[in-house]
Amino acid sequence: MKTTFKEENNQLVMAFYGRLDTAAAVQTEKDMQVLYNCDGRDIMLDCNNLEYISSSGLRLFLGLLKVAKPKGSRVCISGLSNDLRQVFNMTGFTNLFEIV
Amino acid sequence: MSISDKKSEKCFRSNLTLPNNVQEVPRLAEFVDAACEAVGFDMSTTMQMNLAIEEAVVNVMDYAYPPGTKGDVCIEAVAGEEGLVVIISDTGAPFDPTTRGEVDTTLSAEERSIGGLGIMLMRRYMDSTEYRREGDRNILTLTKKRTN
Repeated sequence: MKTTFKEENNQLVMAFYGRLDTAAAVQTEKDMQVLYNCDGRDIMLDCNNLEYISSSGLRLFLGLLKVAKPKGSRVCISGLSNDLRQVFNMTGFTNLFEIV
Repeated sequence: MSISDKKSEKCFRSNLTLPNNVQEVPRLAEFVDAACEAVGFDMSTTMQMNLAIEEAVVNVMDYAYPPGTKGDVCIEAVAGEEGLVVIISDTGAPFDPTTRGEVDTTLSAEERSIGGLGIMLMRRYMDSTEYRREGDRNILTLTKKRTN
């Protein structure tokens, strides 16, 4: 599991690569701290190369949303595979995030 | 699900014991992948089994034993004619996950709590989840039927 981060057009973009399981969530949570300073800028979570996510990873996404939304930031998720989209549907996360 | 002696000769059976350390989850994934391959599950079902079984095992790792104490979680996988049966056991505090995991997925981000998702996913992706307490052991049996 790895992540990359960039700022692009006043948007914060983090890309996820590999398996976001409970073991990987520890480091990924640290990686995602940079997104907490969003200050109203929009956030894109690029999941084109995310192969797997368990509830530990979903919690990180929800935790980010809870911080970013009150600051006026939109949190978008892009590139979910059909399998992952089903997980997001099942947990109601497709209603919480902007899925693009 | 009971598997007759005759069938068990042909079926795949494997065991894994992990300490209560979530950094061991990648070893669990390898174990689950091998069992799913033995059943012949497709990639989507294999991902779902990884998810359901990870959630069940991590739940034991996180909560079965008092914080700071070591304990094991045992996972047995049986891949037979009917599908996949996974038996997860531990000697921690009694806990029945099959009666938990109702999450209101219609709530807003502000209202949603962080917990409960794992057990919900486990229950949704398995065909059956059965819990029993035997002596000092929690025994959770997860079953996924072969669909084709």
